[in-house]
Amino acid sequence: MIVMLWHNIDYVASVVLFSIGLYVVIAKENLIKKFLGLNIMETAVFAFIIALGMVEDGRPPIMTGDAQGPFASPLPQTLVLTGIVVAVSTTALALTLIIRIFRRFGTIEANELREME
Amino acid sequence: MYAWPHWLALVVMTPLAGAALTPIAALLDRRSPPWWALATMTFTSLAATMLVLRVFAEGPFSYLPGGWAAPYGVELRFDEFSAVVGVICLIGWMAILFSSRYTRSLPEFASDRSPYYYALLLLNLGGMIGFAVTGDLFNLFVFLEILSLSGYALVAVGGERIAEMAAFKYLLMGAVSSVLVLFAIGFLYGMTGTLNIADVTARLGALEGPTAPAAVALALLAVGFVTKAAIFPLHVWLPDAHAAAPSPVSAVLSGLVVKLGVIGMIRTYRIYYGAGLFDLTVLNHVLMWLGAISIVMGAFFAIFQEDVKLMLAYSTISNIGYIIMGLGLATTYGVIGASVHIFNHALIKATLFLAVGAIIYRTGYRTLSDLRGVGRAMPLTSVALSIGAISIVGIPPTAGFLCKWYITLGAFEANQPLFGFVLVFGALLIFVYYIRMVNAFYFREPIHAEVTEAREVPVSMLLPTLVLASLCLIMGVLGRIPLTFIEPGVVRLLAPLGG
Repeated sequence: MIVMLWHNIDYVASVVLFSIGLYVVIAKENLIKKFLGLNIMETAVFAFIIALGMVEDGRPPIMTGDAQGPFASPLPQTLVLTGIVVAVSTTALALTLIIRIFRRFGTIEANELREME
Repeated sequence: MYAWPHWLALVVMTPLAGAALTPIAALLDRRSPPWWALATMTFTSLAATMLVLRVFAEGPFSYLPGGWAAPYGVELRFDEFSAVVGVICLIGWMAILFSSRYTRSLPEFASDRSPYYYALLLLNLGGMIGFAVTGDLFNLFVFLEILSLSGYALVAVGGERIAEMAAFKYLLMGAVSSVLVLFAIGFLYGMTGTLNIADVTARLGALEGPTAPAAVALALLAVGFVTKAAIFPLHVWLPDAHAAAPSPVSAVLSGLVVKLGVIGMIRTYRIYYGAGLFDLTVLNHVLMWLGAISIVMGAFFAIFQEDVKLMLAYSTISNIGYIIMGLGLATTYGVIGASVHIFNHALIKATLFLAVGAIIYRTGYRTLSDLRGVGRAMPLTSVALSIGAISIVGIPPTAGFLCKWYITLGAFEANQPLFGFVLVFGALLIFVYYIRMVNAFYFREPIHAEVTEAREVPVSMLLPTLVLASLCLIMGVLGRIPLTFIEPGVVRLLAPLGG
């Protein structure tokens, strides 16, 4: 069991990161901290997908005349690139909303906001 | 004419390109954005009509953008469930027409912001259409994010007091569920090495070795999509978000966006029924129970709401409960009823939100006691509202009846009579709160001068409401057509691959 986990340490790390992120989202009251937790979750998933594309002794998959395999899989990296773009736009929107919440209520602590609603 | 293959690419690309061009249209003429958005959706509706006609005539078909063959390139696939794009186009068109007048009354809605409002609305519709027709898992995630992000922004756009808080709550839960879906897609990719849905299904079925990762992926997908569909207890983002959004946006969010979570669930089911890796009874039971609890809790919360829009929002939770329960029953009747309820509830809820939006636009009030007697002041809008109310309860000649009847039949077919009774009980609860509304609007004396002096809304707002209301009646009379239309899709969904 331990050996199996050790061999898949990259996957284990992303699951641990994911759980930390989820904990922060649920447990923290500050909206920015909540959102940082979400960013940690996203990063964990990106790391997981990147790790999936790892090939032992893989070379960059660039097709030249004398290119020889095995190649690393390029697909996960393109996926994560798209995923990062999505994450950045989510972050931008969330920060905009947080600024507007602060202007209206003067606080970004979830418990204080609940009292004001 | 419907055989032209490129309609499938156009139906996705038109609203997205239209969204990008809306601010430019606004630069040329400051008042053009609503008409530009309407023109875009008109063309999209044309493409959607062609696609629905084609799937009616030929069954499911695919389109390969760029001509790359399916497992390597991205595939767009149009099947019976994708026919939801027809409803998306219809309601999107009506909501845009409605917005052209309605948005002028919003606080904080200066005219220089209106191009962005229409751009967001078009992005949202394009994202939904893309989500419904894609045959590729990662593409599914991208469209899910397009429709969710534009949805979060649209909630905040109205400038209600709690709008930003509601939008943030929606964003937080929505983003977490999107991350869960992406995680699951990573799992499936890791196990099968492909992202094409049909290919994933086939390779998952042929998989040797432990099935635990596939089960984890299924759990992640289910939780992610159920959150998007706002099933109890993951519904907490929905009421505030749908009540705080401007009414045409509420119609789109409540009628369509939550349904895409259900479509995502159907896609997940397609993969796992097709692969036949393991028995799905546990998941089906969970969905049945969650659906039943949502029906009762949603209706129960709705009864105690004074705010009309909050009441409609809770009623959405209740109705999504019907759909998820029908899916969980996993019998032909149940799933047919659930799928048709996706279409019909979209029509009904859009009618209700547009009618309520029209009333709020004229009177400025939104609670039941303030709105007493509005039925006499605004007769046409109130008739539309009442038709919507009768339909959502499920009284026979209307659109709501047939699908609920089918889901009940499904419950008995699955030998789960308890859920049949829950369904009838839920319909009774829904009846109670809509009766409260109709009673307040027609039979109580008005307490505000604005309500008695209210006139009917202008044509651009009245027309969408009345058209959707009459569709609620027409779909009730012609209810057999969608039922027979969706049946082959449901049979294919429930069958294992090659079986």
